[in-house]
Amino acid sequence: MKRLQDVKAKEARDLYYPTMCKVVGARQITDLEKWYELQMPAGQDLGHEPGQFVEVSAFGIGEAPISISSSPSKKGSFELCIRQVGTLTNVLKRYEQGDMIGIRGPFGKGYPIEKLLGKDILIIAGGIGLVPLRSLINYVLDNRKDFGRLIILYGAKSPAELLFKEEIAIWETRDDVELHITVDQPDESWTGNTGVITTLIPGLDLNLNTTIAAITGPPIMYKFVIMSLKSKQLNDDQIYVSLERRMKCGVGKCGHCQINGVYCCQDGPVFNYTDIKPLEEAL
Amino acid sequence: MECYSLLRADVPALIDHLGKFGEVVAPHRKGDVSYSFESVLDSSQVVLDYNRTLLPLKKLFLPPVEKLMDFSLKNMSFDPVELTTQPRVFFGVHSYEMQSILRLDHSMLSGNAESNYFKRRKNSRFVGISFEPDDFHFSESVGIAIEEMEGFDLFLNEIDDDFQLYVLSDNGRSLIQGFKQIRTVEAELSGKREFKKKIRYHYNRLPRIFQYAYKSKVWADVAEKCVGCGACTLTCPTCFCFDVTDEVSVTAEDGLRQRTWDSCMLSTFAEVAGGENFREKTINRTRHRLYRKFKYITDEEGLPWCVGCGRCTAFCPAGISLPDIVNELIQEDEKAQYHHTVRV
Repeated sequence: MKRLQDVKAKEARDLYYPTMCKVVGARQITDLEKWYELQMPAGQDLGHEPGQFVEVSAFGIGEAPISISSSPSKKGSFELCIRQVGTLTNVLKRYEQGDMIGIRGPFGKGYPIEKLLGKDILIIAGGIGLVPLRSLINYVLDNRKDFGRLIILYGAKSPAELLFKEEIAIWETRDDVELHITVDQPDESWTGNTGVITTLIPGLDLNLNTTIAAITGPPIMYKFVIMSLKSKQLNDDQIYVSLERRMKCGVGKCGHCQINGVYCCQDGPVFNYTDIKPLEEAL
Repeated sequence: MECYSLLRADVPALIDHLGKFGEVVAPHRKGDVSYSFESVLDSSQVVLDYNRTLLPLKKLFLPPVEKLMDFSLKNMSFDPVELTTQPRVFFGVHSYEMQSILRLDHSMLSGNAESNYFKRRKNSRFVGISFEPDDFHFSESVGIAIEEMEGFDLFLNEIDDDFQLYVLSDNGRSLIQGFKQIRTVEAELSGKREFKKKIRYHYNRLPRIFQYAYKSKVWADVAEKCVGCGACTLTCPTCFCFDVTDEVSVTAEDGLRQRTWDSCMLSTFAEVAGGENFREKTINRTRHRLYRKFKYITDEEGLPWCVGCGRCTAFCPAGISLPDIVNELIQEDEKAQYHHTVRV
């Protein structure tokens, strides 16, 4: 047990003050999602790992946990992509280039890059799940020789909801990216795959011993994707998931993000599947 | 043990003497049936015999509402709140309450140590007092005796209507320096006080009970009665969950950000934007509360995170009793084991 006498005065910190970051780029990229590029006060790096999140602050409204969408290999600024789904995010919609946004973090655990080196990376992104996974994708692309195959499965509700279309167009042209996209509700112009994301899994030819899967999507998606991966003979420890919870404080205190006894903001949001498999509240 | 005798009539003089160190906070009557920790203005008003205060001492370390910053919407900037703390003596504190502070220390200072909590805590002294258990106290069942003195600087043990004063730390010794109305005696620990409410098992057998109780039928029975008001967690001395909210002034030019107590028993506690609720049903929340007290932190720290004050039970509008829930889980486990034995 941590005792008062074990804590030095300089260890105790103000945990709740944001750093004011300047919006240097902002663009509504779909009906619901807006992309932001932010700069720290002295232009320094945020210092994050792929998969981590920040607390975004809009004075007068409050704070919300938001995934970092850019790779740490991108220097000088970082990117967020925010779905307008709640009070705070609808206010953030009004923020444009030149505005200031409060940021705390980065928080939590991202992907353990050292364990991913040399491995085939299988990205499975459902809807807005592509936002945090884009950080990992771009990290792999920026350090391409350190990894094996890069397989990206991306599912969206409709073609209009596909995020980062220009980047996807570039991924499509690269020989070293295997990209598979599917939509649930195709429109007339859609010529690609149709169906939920799990329909993309049976056809994959995976190197069983070297594949690491990273899954992010709506809560309902995880169980089905994991079942499909298990039928491809992937082991539990080859699977990483990133979980959404109400991470209010980001520093392991406020209690909102607890998954049974685990604080999602401290031990997650990225978890190895073996670590959350025994937790009833996880998936 | 350094021990003195102290007459009941001289306790107000002791409280006045403690005032030399700083603000003295002690239990006071509030209305006809309630007690509250308040700043002492008149030492004769301090209550020595009380069952429990409505709000625990945590309210003075982790205030129900705490301003974190002022902000300007015009300039999109903020001003931090610099917390300055004065020395405080907490007088008339029961052993379970002190134990709750030691647990809060762990919760607020392990991992990321929080400066406001640290500052308030650092400048504090504690003077304990023995108590007569009522129908709700069960702290002995979670390993906390009435005379448990860990964490205290001084402790008053009531013996034959007067007190023995134990000195437990150097800080305690300096608190009573120059106080004349005491004389050295041999310490005798009274063993006359009995707990009426008990958990049937020793607390070190409870982790096993909770290991297998997750799918118990008991949770549905509790959820049936629970009205989801959150009184149990707000009055719980070891609960520390909070929310952070912004308030905008009428001019809409500035405002403040504040931290407020929150409760995992409230229905929206684990809800995220878009409507997904990760603990949607009452049954999930009632279970979570008990697991927070007897399993999650306990697995790591080896101690129940319940101190047996009885508040959650005494103040529950629906009559839900925490020790009764635990006893029902024990009973259910015994039945399951019995059937298992018979079948084998």
